[in-house]
Amino acid sequence: MIKYTIKRLLQSIVTVLIIVTIVFLLLRMLPTDYYFTEEQLMKFTEEQKNEQLLAAGLLDPIPVQLFRFYGDLLHFDLGESRRIQNGVPVEEVIGGKFAISMRLGLTSLAISLVIGVAVGILQTRHKDRLFDHIGTAYTIFVNAVPGLVSYSLVLIFGSRVLGLPSMYSSRNPGPSSILPIVCLAMTSIAYYALWTRRYMIDELNKDYIKLARVKGMSTKTIMVRHVLRNAFVPIAQYLPASMLLTIGGSLLVERFFSVPGMGPLLTDSISRYDTNIVQALVILYASLGILGVFLGDVLMMIIDPRITLASKGGSR
Amino acid sequence: MEDQNKVLDQKLENEDELFTFVEYSPEAAEMIGYSDYSYWKSVFQNFLKKKSAVVLSIIFFGLVIFSFIALAIGKYNYAELVTDSSKAFISPNSEYWFGTDNIGRDYWCQVWYASQTSIKLALIVAIGECALGITIGCLWGYVRKLDRFFTELYNIIHNVPTILYMTLIALLIGQSFTIMAVSLICFGWLVMARNVRNLVLMYRDREFNLASRTLGTPIHRILIKNILPQLISVIILRLALSIPGTIGMESTLSYLGLGLDINTPSLGILLRNARSYFLDYPYLLVFPAVIVSLITVTFYLIGNAFSDASDPRNHV
Repeated sequence: MIKYTIKRLLQSIVTVLIIVTIVFLLLRMLPTDYYFTEEQLMKFTEEQKNEQLLAAGLLDPIPVQLFRFYGDLLHFDLGESRRIQNGVPVEEVIGGKFAISMRLGLTSLAISLVIGVAVGILQTRHKDRLFDHIGTAYTIFVNAVPGLVSYSLVLIFGSRVLGLPSMYSSRNPGPSSILPIVCLAMTSIAYYALWTRRYMIDELNKDYIKLARVKGMSTKTIMVRHVLRNAFVPIAQYLPASMLLTIGGSLLVERFFSVPGMGPLLTDSISRYDTNIVQALVILYASLGILGVFLGDVLMMIIDPRITLASKGGSR
Repeated sequence: MEDQNKVLDQKLENEDELFTFVEYSPEAAEMIGYSDYSYWKSVFQNFLKKKSAVVLSIIFFGLVIFSFIALAIGKYNYAELVTDSSKAFISPNSEYWFGTDNIGRDYWCQVWYASQTSIKLALIVAIGECALGITIGCLWGYVRKLDRFFTELYNIIHNVPTILYMTLIALLIGQSFTIMAVSLICFGWLVMARNVRNLVLMYRDREFNLASRTLGTPIHRILIKNILPQLISVIILRLALSIPGTIGMESTLSYLGLGLDINTPSLGILLRNARSYFLDYPYLLVFPAVIVSLITVTFYLIGNAFSDASDPRNHV
């Protein structure tokens, strides 16, 4: 088990390094004009521009830049932000934002887990009856209709009918984060309901459930003690990943409601050539993704002792 | 009782006649068992049994045809739209059937033009994704030596938000319909390839393939004749689901300013333009939202129905 964990972690580090190297090289392919604001582009002469680029080390040969970057990484030095917040260390820029994203994300995750699983259970109990059909229709709607459209509908309903604020404001974070949370939760409720229903129905068709019925167990006990517990194992596998990914925030929702979170930071930092922030974000996203999958496997193993990791041979 | 005995007696009398030699007839000797089972015929028969799916497909084709008619009968031509702020925000009336947008352009032709763009993009991307995904998936699953390489490649692309690559592409190469389609295909094959790969792994070492290999069947023939037919229902499902996915992705990207260029109206661009106004002028949201939801939900349902129909286990 320990050997397997170490092997897998080492592999992940290599993957993260490859990813960040690729992104590093891609970023260096961008025209250097992006380094300046439009105002600076107009004002500066070529020499001034070159001076600035030279000072930032952007005119060195690519391998030199790459090795300097690796060297800094070894010291856990991610550099400073340049355009988003001039001169502020990257960790601080990200730190301020990810708290906001995470608060929204975790709240919506908790809500959707409770509601989603409950809806899934109810759908299973009322299979092929009205409630089940309504639930399925909801799932289809959320999955098929583009997020932008359904968010717009939520926004119209929320602000016109319920009078909720349509934009996030940091002075009034309570009410103004209701709509973003609803939008985030809407998608994941459908996800949890869909899979809970499917796994529970699979489980219901198994022989041991028949035995439990014959034994005279009440339907409620069977549902909670056996069916739900077994059906929850595959769902639990994705929980750590979804929890970790809340740190990353949702680009569309955050842009849509002007939440100053992590999502918009990614596109902003790329288009404004803030390379240090992009690299830090990429490392963050990639390691969170990989860590999430790993923790999911571990969690699944804890919940269901029949599953052992090492025998899977590391090929996912 | 007596009647029955009589019948039995008669039977016994005729017994000798029952055991006479049959004369040799060449036609009878050539006769073989025949059933008029044809795979695709059964698929369509099964599909036609699902009334809701059939109705939806008719609606979809109707919509596509109508989008051409709508552009033709509209009072304004998209290419000749002019900005006229005195005509901004006119609610739908007999002159402007869908009203006008914030700078006084006819909304009817914009909406239909945008739906055409979105459908076209979605179809192209779905087919491209499918072709690339199946090819890579087959190689990934069948050729053991490539497994490691493709798994790494998958991890590298999958663990970084697609938005990052999309932003870089938009900045490096530019924004146009072709670039958008190609880059969506380049990052969209992952899911299809992984699905195909897992199934190919499942079928690769079955007895019938072992037999085929022993008889010297070339690999491409094994893949096409023995393995791919087993995957049809999964492939069709992914193909159909990727259409709502692409439309959603396109709208997100265009909303973020990373998608199509601003002069090609697409759904995302319409919604982006409408974002600041649709709270006061809901028709700006309603028309594109209804059309796009119709398209995506239809494809979602047709895809599910067709993939059920194409699973040979559901055939007679």
